[in-house]
Amino acid sequence: MTGAVVVVAALLVQLMLVNRLPLPAGGAPDLVLLAVVGVALVRGPVAGAVIGFGSGLLVDIVPPTAHVAGLYAFVFALVGYLAGRGAGGQVTTVVLCVLLAPLLAAAVGGLLSDPRVTIATLTEQVPVTIVYTLVVAPVVIWLTSRARQQPRYTI
Amino acid sequence: MRDSRHARLILGMLLTAALVILTVDHRSGEGSPLRPLRAAGAFVFGTAEQVGGVVARSVGGFVHAVATAPSAREDIERLKAENARLRSGLAANKLDAARSTELKRLLGLAGIGGYKVVAANVIARRGQPGFEDAVEIDAGTDDGVRAEMTVLNGDGLIGRVVRASSRTSSVVLLSDPASAAGARLEGGHEIGVVHGVGENGRLLRFRLLDSTAPVTRGGRLVSFGSHRGAPYVPGVPIGVIERVEPTPGELTRIAYAKPYADLTALDVVGVVVRAPARDPRDAVLPRREGAR
Repeated sequence: MTGAVVVVAALLVQLMLVNRLPLPAGGAPDLVLLAVVGVALVRGPVAGAVIGFGSGLLVDIVPPTAHVAGLYAFVFALVGYLAGRGAGGQVTTVVLCVLLAPLLAAAVGGLLSDPRVTIATLTEQVPVTIVYTLVVAPVVIWLTSRARQQPRYTI
Repeated sequence: MRDSRHARLILGMLLTAALVILTVDHRSGEGSPLRPLRAAGAFVFGTAEQVGGVVARSVGGFVHAVATAPSAREDIERLKAENARLRSGLAANKLDAARSTELKRLLGLAGIGGYKVVAANVIARRGQPGFEDAVEIDAGTDDGVRAEMTVLNGDGLIGRVVRASSRTSSVVLLSDPASAAGARLEGGHEIGVVHGVGENGRLLRFRLLDSTAPVTRGGRLVSFGSHRGAPYVPGVPIGVIERVEPTPGELTRIAYAKPYADLTALDVVGVVVRAPARDPRDAVLPRREGAR
């Protein structure tokens, strides 16, 4: 439940605040991805996959949307599972997930021949997003795992 | 191991579901069965976004202002500089037009009189009532200006150079109470001395040396000329007599003259660096009809 609240909060902050900040180089950190990773790190692969799927679906339907529904559900389910399962240390897992998510999204979009996925997207926008996400990752991961500590003992 | 298999199963199901949703949404386009879902999302989150939008907008605006502050300041600086430049250009254009006409008249006067002049602009002025009436011009010894040279403009006599530095010179105006210039009545040989009386250069006092000589209102004065043309060259129009003082029993007569040159609003002036070979007499005076 707290996981869902965290993800929804992250989504709202992302859409209303972060995406509208005129950050240099024209990118923005992906808070929802970090929230999913943070929740999954604590909850394990199953919960991670489920929460990733749910938040991805939410990302797909919350306005404004212009991409095909299910894209982020797919990506975040996979990322949530991966983060819950863990790959090496915590830092490695987070970095891997942050690197994987946009590339995966681009790949799925490319499979659907999304006109927005081009070489320029991969070389210009995706690296900026990754860098920003990695910059804010420690804070968001720390916040989401802290929010989880209480329920972890009650479950 | 069982947990992992369970997890993989769930992951597989979820991924399949996502792919199904993807495919359905992608294939069906506008008539997608996911439209109600999107509509519900739009309703719930759209409302939330609207409510949060006020806060978000102000925060965003603040961050934007902070982020763009350096460039905004540069913009402001640049625009200010440009504005000042344009404004000064505009003012300079107007000034240039006025200056050009003044120069033309100055050249005309200098040509009639045969004076050799160096044109200069008045760059500073000192003139409090009761104190010296002097201006600074932007021509100096580099331009051939020396002390004790006559300064005139297109209308008439202005004053004399008292001090010349390399780039600028000080000119004492006719209206300075301490200045005195030799003057001659038009059409005759009656001579006198013109003193400034202050009064912002509106009037000059003309002291006619011969108390019996006729002097009337409307009589015109030209400079008499000094020894070797310093400080005053001969023949420069000075002014028109406005008022004659009744001074019975005195050795001299006193009249007040209005100078031709507007001594309160000087811009382009000329310094006579060489006096004419011959005294131009009354030739430089403006025509009678145009007399002031």
